[in-house]
Amino acid sequence: MADKNLRFLVVDDFSTMRRIVRNLLKELGFTNVDEAEDGQVALHKLKTQHFDFVVSDWNMPNMTGIELLKAVRADQQLKPLPFLMITAEAKRENIIEAAMAGASGYIVKPFTAATLEEKLNKIFQAINK
Amino acid sequence: MSEFGGMEELLQDFLMESNDLLSDVDNKLVELEKRPEDRALLNDIFRGFHTIKGGAGFLNVAPMVTLCHRTENLFDKLRNAELQLNPEVMDVILDATASVRDMFGTLGQGLMPRDADGALLAALDAVLSGRMPQAPVPQATPATPPVASAPQRSDEPDWNSLYQAVVPAARTTTPTAPAPAPVEVVPAAALVPETEPVTAVAAASRAAAPAKNVTASKSASGGGHENTIRIDTNRLDMVLNLSGEIGLTKNRLTTLRTEILQGNNDSNTLRSLDEAISQLDLLVGDLQNAVMKTRMQPIGRLFQKYPRLARDLARQLGKDVELVLSGEETELDKTMIEDLNDPLVHLVRNAVDHGVESTAERIAAGKKPQSLIQLTAEQVGDHILIEITDDGRGMNADALRRKAVEKGLIDTEAANALDEKQCLQLIFLPGFSTKDQISSVSGRGVGMDVVRTNIQKLNGRIDINSIPGEGTRISISLPLTLAILPVLVVRACNQPFAVPLAMVREIITIDPEAIQEVSGNPTIVVRDEILPLKTLAGLLGWAPTQKPGFGVLMQSAERSFILAIDSFVGRDDVVIKPLQNIRPKGVAGATLSGDGSVVLVLDMEDLLTAKDGVSGMVKTSELITI
Repeated sequence: MADKNLRFLVVDDFSTMRRIVRNLLKELGFTNVDEAEDGQVALHKLKTQHFDFVVSDWNMPNMTGIELLKAVRADQQLKPLPFLMITAEAKRENIIEAAMAGASGYIVKPFTAATLEEKLNKIFQAINK
Repeated sequence: MSEFGGMEELLQDFLMESNDLLSDVDNKLVELEKRPEDRALLNDIFRGFHTIKGGAGFLNVAPMVTLCHRTENLFDKLRNAELQLNPEVMDVILDATASVRDMFGTLGQGLMPRDADGALLAALDAVLSGRMPQAPVPQATPATPPVASAPQRSDEPDWNSLYQAVVPAARTTTPTAPAPAPVEVVPAAALVPETEPVTAVAAASRAAAPAKNVTASKSASGGGHENTIRIDTNRLDMVLNLSGEIGLTKNRLTTLRTEILQGNNDSNTLRSLDEAISQLDLLVGDLQNAVMKTRMQPIGRLFQKYPRLARDLARQLGKDVELVLSGEETELDKTMIEDLNDPLVHLVRNAVDHGVESTAERIAAGKKPQSLIQLTAEQVGDHILIEITDDGRGMNADALRRKAVEKGLIDTEAANALDEKQCLQLIFLPGFSTKDQISSVSGRGVGMDVVRTNIQKLNGRIDINSIPGEGTRISISLPLTLAILPVLVVRACNQPFAVPLAMVREIITIDPEAIQEVSGNPTIVVRDEILPLKTLAGLLGWAPTQKPGFGVLMQSAERSFILAIDSFVGRDDVVIKPLQNIRPKGVAGATLSGDGSVVLVLDMEDLLTAKDGVSGMVKTSELITI
């Protein structure tokens, strides 16, 4: 079981969606959550504060989720950070793109707390292997 | 009644945010008509629908997911240049936007919206499949099918193998090339549960589409009042800080009270008391301000709906109109913003319908073919000034005068006595319509007087300026908030009364010599303007206790007059409390003065009409003295 004190960063330009994800995480027992409204803000937060997990939307202004993911993977410090990509896109090329950019997982909207938990656990398992 | 048990709060958030988003999309669509190739715009609109879809998905609003999904796909094709934007496609997009807005309206009532109009979904499908004028570029097709096909969905273990499979390949190949291979590793897994709703919805609505033919009402859902408000957390912190400090000051006062009650009232204690009270005074003032600020919202939230409104109407009328906004960041009390919507919608419609000319007329008059309507807001002192200016044909004073007489709203004599500015005010009379034919969009003659009444309810004023051939400007002046009313406290018959400061133009001393009788009514000439003199005692129906010494020059939209009073107390910011059960004519409510006595706040319009009832002629004679 994952440490409930893990610090999450939820990245989405739509505040309702951030709230939804935050609520779902809370349902799973993760209460240490911060938010960012786009990739740029997220990257700044990631570089200045400590986070254990990023849950990011794909489609955002200024800096998209995939750009954020690439920036995270290109950064020596942030590189190992687990990164779950959320999106409404379930297109094949998107999944491929996310995978190639180094996403740790991919979840399609809308999803339930159970699905989120399942995805998170897979990622935790992969890390602990 | 709600079908969203347990999710109402989330729903409210979603609606508020999505409404803003959709208004933004609406405006971008208007922009897009001018710059159909603009990638950034197309991207933004795409993201708008995408985001709404995402939120709707979590709320299980299937009809909205379906509709947004298709519209989003359409924009995906547009931004990838697989489709060309043309008027037909634009119409479909606008219909889709209107339909989404209707669904917001339904959701706002806590109900699940019905599926979008079958014809609309069919039209979207037609555009997507290239049956509309422009054929899509062939390779686009595989990209579009919604989330339906199974192979691309993977269960978690497959994600890892997929990841493993793809990452090494990425070094040597282009992103698209390795796609088929790794994905084929995956398909063993069944559909991931979370995608089912979407797929099912798409299928269900496709089946249902031909059967249903409910035409969505085009009316915007802006009517109802929102019960939630978004507040900058800094502002909320300010309120919290201030209430904390007030608590501390209260503690200090309590201590001081104990000391004083124990007989300790030396100069030190009294000075401390004085300090504490001064501080409390300051803090309460700040707190009032801070609380008021939490209710302040940028007027842009209202304005942003209008470019689309103007565009649609102009298109319907065959006119070319651009509505330009400025000052959207100007802040106004939330309730006022909501109550301003109807008057502003009316004024924007009026400007497009009556104000500006058709393209042909404009060219004939040597004007630029496209007409310009400006909607501006700015804070001027403690007031907000909203102006709507068009560069249209302007208003003809003579025509207005004739019309008012024809309609029997005023008699010829009164009409001839009106100057040009006063003629413009005629459009505010109930039953006045400047157009001969009643059009479907505006001009039922119920308009402008209702607009003015609404503005007055907000303690505001409305004014018109117009130059024939050059255009019309309508100015609305509003107080920042309704919660706190600045008043002038005056005395008459040994009693204090408060009159709204917004109506006070100036204060004069009354020289009994200067009072002249005009047809039996006392008047005073102030800078060449003949103004009727009304004593407050007289208006109240009381016997005067002394000769009035001062006059307050009051101005409302309809009339100016001098209110004769005995003396002044001063200006004050008061909170009006309505009187329970009784409603004396001319009294808006009551407030407490500094010494704890009750002060009646007068409603001047009400007080004057009470008197107008006595003689029928007063009204027209007062109209002349505007």
